Amino acid sequence: MDARRDQMESKQTYNGNKQEHGQDEPLKGTFASVLMLGAFIAVSWIGVFLLFLYRS
Amino acid sequence: MHIHRLEKIWIIIGTAMLVVFLVAIGIGAFAMGNHPPGHTSAIKLDPEKVYETPPFDNPGLEKIGENEYNAYIVAYIYGYNPGNIEIPVGATVHFYVTSADVVHGFNIPGTIVNMMAVPGEVNEMTYTFDEPAEYLLLCNEYCGIGHEYMATTITVKG
Repeated sequence: MDARRDQMESKQTYNGNKQEHGQDEPLKGTFASVLMLGAFIAVSWIGVFLLFLYRS
Repeated sequence: MHIHRLEKIWIIIGTAMLVVFLVAIGIGAFAMGNHPPGHTSAIKLDPEKVYETPPFDNPGLEKIGENEYNAYIVAYIYGYNPGNIEIPVGATVHFYVTSADVVHGFNIPGTIVNMMAVPGEVNEMTYTFDEPAEYLLLCNEYCGIGHEYMATTITVKG
């Protein structure tokens, strides 16, 4: 709920033409999720590639 | 267009990963010759005349250098011609594989040799057998009722 309220407030700030202020907050969770997914993809890919190199 | 600072970071990371993956695939394809079967092979053949077309009219090993061989192998339902190949340890083998009937697999478990045998196409792969052992060669594409029996061995003698 709090996150949602933060987002709403941020949107209002954005609409109120204060673009540079306080808009980094609501995307922190998304950023962390994207990085975790990216790390998973990178680790899986590197793992398979190392297996390929080891067997070749 | 306004892009959020954190969005910029993950777009850069995602693009960098994509570039790394594509460069690795590009090196594999153009420098190491890893490609799917297609009309890239120097050997052209009619799928209905496999056994009349050189070099598959005489399938087997051809010694081309010191401990280096070409292996011309025809996959068929349900086996490989020739079967039970014997090579010395440390041999580098260039496999040229095609099929006399349907699509088969050509897989040596524990190695990177894993490709398809496609009628009318010649698939190629090079592998150096450094360990003396009996390697299993099996079909991993479902090819018919006897698919599970389609296997042979490659014996690498020490």
